[in-house]
Amino acid sequence: MRRCTQGISLLSLLLFAIALVLDDMAVLLAAATLAFCILGQYLAFDRTMRETVRSVELARTLSRNPVRKGTSLKVTTQISVRVPRRVHVRIFDLLPLQAAFIEGETEIALEPGPEVQTRKISYTIVPVIHGEHPFSGLSVQVRNRFFEATMHLTRKSDQEPVLSVQPSGLFAPPPSEMTDGSLDMRKTSAWSGSDVHSLRDYVTGDDLRHVDWKVSAKYTKLVIRKYTAPQSHPPLVIVDLPWKGAPYPEKAFSLMISEVTGMVRHTVHTYQYISVLIICGPNIVHLIREEKNISRCIAALQERMHPSDRFVHFYHTTDRSDIRSRLREAENRIFDEHGAKTIPYYECLRDQYEQVLDNIRTPAFTGQVSRALSQITFSEAFLFTLEGGDTSHIRHVVRPLRTRNIKVQTRIIRTPPPEPEPAPASSPAAGTGVPS
Amino acid sequence: MSSIPAEHQWFLVMAAGVALATILLNSPVWYLNVLLGLLFLGVLLLTATWRDRAFYLVCAGEPLVILCGIQNLWAGVFVVCTLAGILCSALNLLESREDKQQFGIFLGMVVLIGLLIQFSNHVLLPLIILGVVAFAILLVQSIRMYQFRKQYTGA
Repeated sequence: MRRCTQGISLLSLLLFAIALVLDDMAVLLAAATLAFCILGQYLAFDRTMRETVRSVELARTLSRNPVRKGTSLKVTTQISVRVPRRVHVRIFDLLPLQAAFIEGETEIALEPGPEVQTRKISYTIVPVIHGEHPFSGLSVQVRNRFFEATMHLTRKSDQEPVLSVQPSGLFAPPPSEMTDGSLDMRKTSAWSGSDVHSLRDYVTGDDLRHVDWKVSAKYTKLVIRKYTAPQSHPPLVIVDLPWKGAPYPEKAFSLMISEVTGMVRHTVHTYQYISVLIICGPNIVHLIREEKNISRCIAALQERMHPSDRFVHFYHTTDRSDIRSRLREAENRIFDEHGAKTIPYYECLRDQYEQVLDNIRTPAFTGQVSRALSQITFSEAFLFTLEGGDTSHIRHVVRPLRTRNIKVQTRIIRTPPPEPEPAPASSPAAGTGVPS
Repeated sequence: MSSIPAEHQWFLVMAAGVALATILLNSPVWYLNVLLGLLFLGVLLLTATWRDRAFYLVCAGEPLVILCGIQNLWAGVFVVCTLAGILCSALNLLESREDKQQFGIFLGMVVLIGLLIQFSNHVLLPLIILGVVAFAILLVQSIRMYQFRKQYTGA
């Protein structure tokens, strides 16, 4: 009942009570006609609601099925319904149990119309529990001036398709073991797919499928097998933004944005999370750390990926290790070319390098990068930068990664050459990948 | 006449009926009929754009129904019928042929209630009869709704 109908019902009950107390026929007439008026409206509304619910048809499609636990999938639902006169209908698509809603619309509102109305909605969900999960159905809310009612449609056709969610990382160690710093990096057996690493006592929450029943029977207590985890970490994406204070190649920058976005999407779909370090020259702009929500990650990229201010510049300066190698080279020349006329030149050069080495300091940027990246686990990194400009800061990013045996691929995005008049077949490669 | 809104036309019919009843019945409280009629007219005009207008119109119309019903039962029945017409017109519930049929059924039911009250000496008996009828309708409706929900929701 809506508020207006509640008021009229209350008035009717009050009049009935007065009629009974005063034994007054006129008051009874007023009360009875009001009550039957509400009853009649209820019967009419009930018939309308049945008509509406009977006319609902649903076709739901999934972007992929089965899916892995924790990965997002897009659901598209087409709903057809005939809305009678003086009735407003809202239909909610109910998600499967244990699925988290990410983005999109799960609701449609329909106005009265003589024809069957068809609407399409799409939204993204992330299943969080593995297993077979049918959709929960549809919720149809029908409302007119006097009444409103909601009906949850849970027929088999309303719950299709059944979402099949595969478990992720069955033999991976639980998160507590992954985050305590003792990562198990041993290789997986090619035959069994997983090795037994060690045995330990059962604790609450352990997967019973990992119980070693023979050993448990021997010691009369539950013993759990610890498996070697096949480790696979997503690559780190490093984006080097251009400086706002100088002209930059806009087309190449657009290409870089699309490449980075594509890589982020692919990485999240494959590894379930992504880390992105955004720098602008020797300045750290932002660090997206192990983000699982693709929408949030893309939104953060859209917010940050613009030419940025550079508060620090390196002005093409060489770093200490480069100067040290040049110093070594000069010393070698002095040693090899003993007595030659070029010796004073190399001696002068050596003195200059030594002087520079005494004064030059490791830039703060190197420490900042090392500190930022020490929080993230990854085995590969992709660095996106534009062609031209000062690239001296890139060595400060690449070098600490290489010392950690991390493979770094630098992608220098160049402005694509103008296409000839008769358009040739388009090349899928947006930029040129240059492994460093 | 066609430029006057339908609810105002119904009000004119009601006013004419109430005036006629007041004259014919020679009621000593004729002024109350006039006052309540004016009150209802005021509410009808004032609540034209309000939400829940039906509630205000019912609240304003029921005293007139009771007053006329006290003077003569069929005068009360007439006011109920015209009040229902005003409400339906104000809420656009008299647009189609089907709506008019439903309105006709309601008027027939009001007449039946009037007849039931006419032939009763006290409130209790018609109240029980009306209660039983309403209960039976609701019972049948609940069973139908249960079957419907069972089919569509598995409840």
